[in-house]
Amino acid sequence: MQVIFNIPGPLREFTENRRDVRVEVKAGADLREALLELFAAYPGLRDRVLTEAGEIRGHVNIFVANQDVRYSGGLATAVPARAEVSIVPAISGG
Amino acid sequence: MIGQTLDHYRIVAQIGEGGMGVVYRARDEVLNRDVALKLLAGGALEKVGSGHLLREAQTASSLSHPNICTIHQVGQTGNDYYVVMELIEGRSLSELFTATGLSMETVTRYGAQIADALAHAHERGIAHRDLKGSNVMVTAEGRVKVLDFGLATRLDREEISELTLSYSSLESKLVGTLPYMAPEVLRGQKGDHLSDLWALGVLLYEAAAGRLPFRGNTGFEVTSAILREPPPPLPATVPHGLAAVIQRCLMKERAERYQRASEARAALEALQGAVLQSRHPSEETRGPRTLVLRGMEHLTVKNGDVLLLVGTNKGAFLLRSSRDRTRWDVAGPYFHGQGVYAMAYDGRSGRHRLWVSTNSLMWGTFLRSSDDFGRIWTNPLEASIRFPTESGAALKNIWQICLGRSEEPETLYCGVEPAALFESRDAGESWSLVRGLYEHPHRPRWMPSNGGLCLHTIVPDPGNKERMYVGVSAAGVYRTEDGGNTWQARNNGIRVVFMPEKYPEFGQCVHKIVLHRSRPERLFLQNHWGLYRSDNRGDSWQDIARGVPSDFGFAMLMHPHDADCVYILPVESDEFRCTPDGRLRVYRTRDAGGSWEALERGLPQKGAYETVLRDAFSTDSLDPAGIYFGTRSGKLYGSRDEGKGWKKILEGLPQIVCVKAAVIQMDGAPAARPYPKAKAAAKRKTPRRKSVRRGKRR
Repeated sequence: MQVIFNIPGPLREFTENRRDVRVEVKAGADLREALLELFAAYPGLRDRVLTEAGEIRGHVNIFVANQDVRYSGGLATAVPARAEVSIVPAISGG
Repeated sequence: MIGQTLDHYRIVAQIGEGGMGVVYRARDEVLNRDVALKLLAGGALEKVGSGHLLREAQTASSLSHPNICTIHQVGQTGNDYYVVMELIEGRSLSELFTATGLSMETVTRYGAQIADALAHAHERGIAHRDLKGSNVMVTAEGRVKVLDFGLATRLDREEISELTLSYSSLESKLVGTLPYMAPEVLRGQKGDHLSDLWALGVLLYEAAAGRLPFRGNTGFEVTSAILREPPPPLPATVPHGLAAVIQRCLMKERAERYQRASEARAALEALQGAVLQSRHPSEETRGPRTLVLRGMEHLTVKNGDVLLLVGTNKGAFLLRSSRDRTRWDVAGPYFHGQGVYAMAYDGRSGRHRLWVSTNSLMWGTFLRSSDDFGRIWTNPLEASIRFPTESGAALKNIWQICLGRSEEPETLYCGVEPAALFESRDAGESWSLVRGLYEHPHRPRWMPSNGGLCLHTIVPDPGNKERMYVGVSAAGVYRTEDGGNTWQARNNGIRVVFMPEKYPEFGQCVHKIVLHRSRPERLFLQNHWGLYRSDNRGDSWQDIARGVPSDFGFAMLMHPHDADCVYILPVESDEFRCTPDGRLRVYRTRDAGGSWEALERGLPQKGAYETVLRDAFSTDSLDPAGIYFGTRSGKLYGSRDEGKGWKKILEGLPQIVCVKAAVIQMDGAPAARPYPKAKAAAKRKTPRRKSVRRGKRR
């Protein structure tokens, strides 16, 4: 199945400037598996979205079909076919 | 026209002629006063439409300010439009420039008045758009009057190109206007308050130097100079402060100019104060001159230049000067919005490599480098510094990048948060965690300090490849004698004020450790409260805080050539982490901590509540040594005579967290340590690490 990732501006230098990236993912995949496919295609994203311990960075929000995965199972969140997955920087800073 | 009457104004004599029309002295027959009456040229009206011009003139007539020529009335008689205004008896600035030249005090005084007039008008939404020497009158009493606010028509692109092509044959109107035009106006943008500030800069330059900053024999040459050339250096007689104001007005990038005329006015007024006091030169105005050229995209670095790497919590800046260290070119910010806590210059093995750590709140921390002084930076696809997955730890920040010993030119170290040491044996291509320290039995009991649990100081013993010291907050000093396999706490004699046990084996909050390569057994240490020296490689420490206003501080610096000379920047206390008494003073010992002296010449001694962080203090290797530090408030200070006299090099930066100085040795010049050229060339053939290289400064 195909999953569409929305890539935020600061990371597009690692996706050939693409805002929307389509990735082929096996049916029934969760977010972790979908991200692995994304990272395989665009390796510059991995360390910017996840820590080396494999967790979503504290100031990065990921939405699967408009639902913040922080409240829906984190990396284990199911990703339906043709779902849009948005990687969004938190509005924080100083 | 002479002798005719328009409405109730009797034309008496012609007093001027410009692009907008002819100006007459006239008699107001109703109010019995003399006025100036400008009869507007038909061409000017056709260009913009009479309605538009009248509206602008009416708006401008609402301005009431002692330095703005008052518009009394805008009228129409038959087909003619005219503007009636205050009659000013005096000479125009352009006449004064050519006639006498002006003293710097006069330039500053006139400049402040013009800036005040601009500030008043800009606050009311009115830009002048044609500020130039012939539009500024000075009365017999020395009062400045700016003429023709809002009356300038907008030149369209065709007119600009016409102006450019036929400069020498044009009427005085346009010839007079072109040298004052801002780059954006030449590109066709409508003049606004920022292009007025540019014109103010041109006026001030002209007044101070006696010549225009952007000149040429043809319009093309003038235009090209405005768009591309920096203004030529001002004569040495122009005081630094005035030069800085002029330079700021003449920034090609609009965002780098003063953003309000009131800022320019305040700067000029402050200079007036300084000029008045100059009979008794203040500490701040003495000492070597420092000129700063901001807004360059990239530095051009030559052999022997001094380079300053300045890391802030919002990006990095690079500064370059020749060896005299009086004029600095500034490039940046690089890595917009990211914290740059660690920087280093690696000039070993014929390299000229800058290293930085970039810390984005969202996207993590990466080590990046540039081999061409900042034009292109690596941006690794994968983080080169990373904790092993099984550790469960995640890198928060890189606090320190440290070169290995000169005989190990491929060795680099990084100190990171959470507290750990990483090393590279291949000039930064790959990195590994120093496990001996990471797995130290004390580690579970180390306590994070204010800045988190971080390893911020790395001091290799220059004479012993196996020995190295690190500083960890809050764990203290650790030393290895076996190349990093095992580490011993070395805090004997260092007091911990915030713990019940005052002299524990570890748990000290060390802030900085320094040593001199000629006496590697002797260490100096700035603690969270306490100044210490060790004469036995850290085995024991003695208090050396005699004669300092506070023994609290972060930064500590070793003199590059004098093993007994150490600099510190005391702050008042851990509660009030600012310079004591609002006085910014560097303290120096020249007898290894036996006594300390304050170095304050050129540093503010009133109301200066500054903080200098632990890595924002650096020295170059020249003789006499240059000393540099940056403050949390974004000011960068430098001394080119080992601290005797100081100059503010830059201000207005984000919070400065890192300052590193280096002297650049190019090919052919003797390097610190000769390194076989063949090996350096072979090195270049090896494939680059997998990374995105880019020219942009992001």
